Amino acid sequence: MEKEFTPVSIPTSLYKKIEEKIKGTEFSSVSSYVTKVLRESLSKNEENKEVFSAEEEEKIKERLKALGYID
Amino acid sequence: MKKRLLVIGLDCAAPALVFDRVAELPNLKKLMDAGIHGKLRSCDPPITIPAWMVMATGRDPGQLGLYGFRHRRGYEYNKMWIANSTAVKEKTVWDYLGEQGRESVLVSVPPSYPPKPVRGKLISCFITPSSEQAYTYPAELRQEIEERFGPFRFDVTFRTEDRSQVLSEIYQMTENHFEVIGYLLQDKNWSLFWFVEIGVDRVHHAFWKFMDRDHHLYEPGNPYETVIPDYYRFLDEKIGQLLEKVDDRTAVLVVSDHGAKRMKGAFCVNDWLIEQGDLVVTEPPQRGESVDKLKIDWTRTRAWGWGGYYARIFLNVEGREPQGIIRPEDYEAARDELAERLRAIRGPRGEEWKTVVIKPQEHYPELNGEYPDLMVYFDDLYWRSAGTLGYGTMYLEENDTGPDDAVHDYEGIYILYDPKKKGGREQDANILDIAPTILRLLEGPEVPGLRGKVIE
Repeated sequence: MEKEFTPVSIPTSLYKKIEEKIKGTEFSSVSSYVTKVLRESLSKNEENKEVFSAEEEEKIKERLKALGYID
Repeated sequence: MKKRLLVIGLDCAAPALVFDRVAELPNLKKLMDAGIHGKLRSCDPPITIPAWMVMATGRDPGQLGLYGFRHRRGYEYNKMWIANSTAVKEKTVWDYLGEQGRESVLVSVPPSYPPKPVRGKLISCFITPSSEQAYTYPAELRQEIEERFGPFRFDVTFRTEDRSQVLSEIYQMTENHFEVIGYLLQDKNWSLFWFVEIGVDRVHHAFWKFMDRDHHLYEPGNPYETVIPDYYRFLDEKIGQLLEKVDDRTAVLVVSDHGAKRMKGAFCVNDWLIEQGDLVVTEPPQRGESVDKLKIDWTRTRAWGWGGYYARIFLNVEGREPQGIIRPEDYEAARDELAERLRAIRGPRGEEWKTVVIKPQEHYPELNGEYPDLMVYFDDLYWRSAGTLGYGTMYLEENDTGPDDAVHDYEGIYILYDPKKKGGREQDANILDIAPTILRLLEGPEVPGLRGKVIE
């Protein structure tokens, strides 16, 4: 079975900097922040998933709701 | 000369409506008598997207990273993306055949919008925003089709109480599809011709309660009692006309992506999570409010869910979600404990449910994309999951997003007719078997890593 989480090592000084940075923000932990930043960085290299314009996406969402696939 | 294969995809066609009524379906009966047929176990989840691509690639939803029509965008709370053709990264049978220089014609195999290049021709599927968009490959094919048959009809208007209108639209759409298919079948070169008729799924969802005496909303003597079997007879006639257009070296595969059964109701999973204390809101939900609009206190929320034919449950995990509160080291225990509670949910009259809870990490040998933490089939799929909430009850008689009578079932159908083989056999198969079967039949390459077995 694949594990959902795994640790990564980062320099303690960097860890402390992040801790300072996220004080009072929506991030509850350094891991939350690091995960978000890394995902953003990686997704820039991934193929763009924006196939539909915002208007088209709304229209399709409504249709998929009506069809029962999503709600 | 190499064989050709015509794949007749009937979205949602159910064993009971084909095999048990085959005396009324002479063309399908001929194929059954001369071929192999059986129930086809769909993938998990048994839903149009990903099921057709599981068939076309021989890869399961975990490998494809496709778990339904929408997915979370990363681990954001409210960002999502709609499944489309670009999300399919694995090679399909027509990609492999194309590498051998062999052509395919593909009509409405979901998801096929935006139209991707193929060696051959392609018309996209019902997720196409409208016929105003480019929906063919090559682009010129669109004009060729529209000049002859008018704009391609991708879908019908659904969730209206005017059933006669829906029915008339379903027939018009299916007529339009078969005209286009009949034309392409004769006019184009192909080794593989694969189309999917979505009308079957639509007629089930709109008319199941009128036919099924066990449905809680069935009314004896209603005017739509025979709509579904009538539509199957109509399809059988249309299929007969197509079969007259193909030569005797053409093999035929009639196949569905999943089955259907009566819907018992919709279960409001987020109301349940609120009651259980897993989901904490800052304002009580409005009636019918979507979970996306719900005022959630993420700092106290452990889990939330999405609706559809199955429920997707997400845990709010520290280090993963922006305001996660479940510690990563507690993830497995928290998930197991929630799964246990989900399995114990009972029906509106206290009756036991056969709820299936799937942990993606254990279910799929390989896991890609944006999978949920838990996948839940309430009462063995009889109860759909409502993502909306605030109805004052967790049990809805109808779909939360409008009238619907049917849910999906695990087993679809297949009928495989090979002109070179003796038939008349019944043999159940798995949806993963379709890709290797097609490749063997068409003498395509041996593809390593396909788990399915050749149906023969």
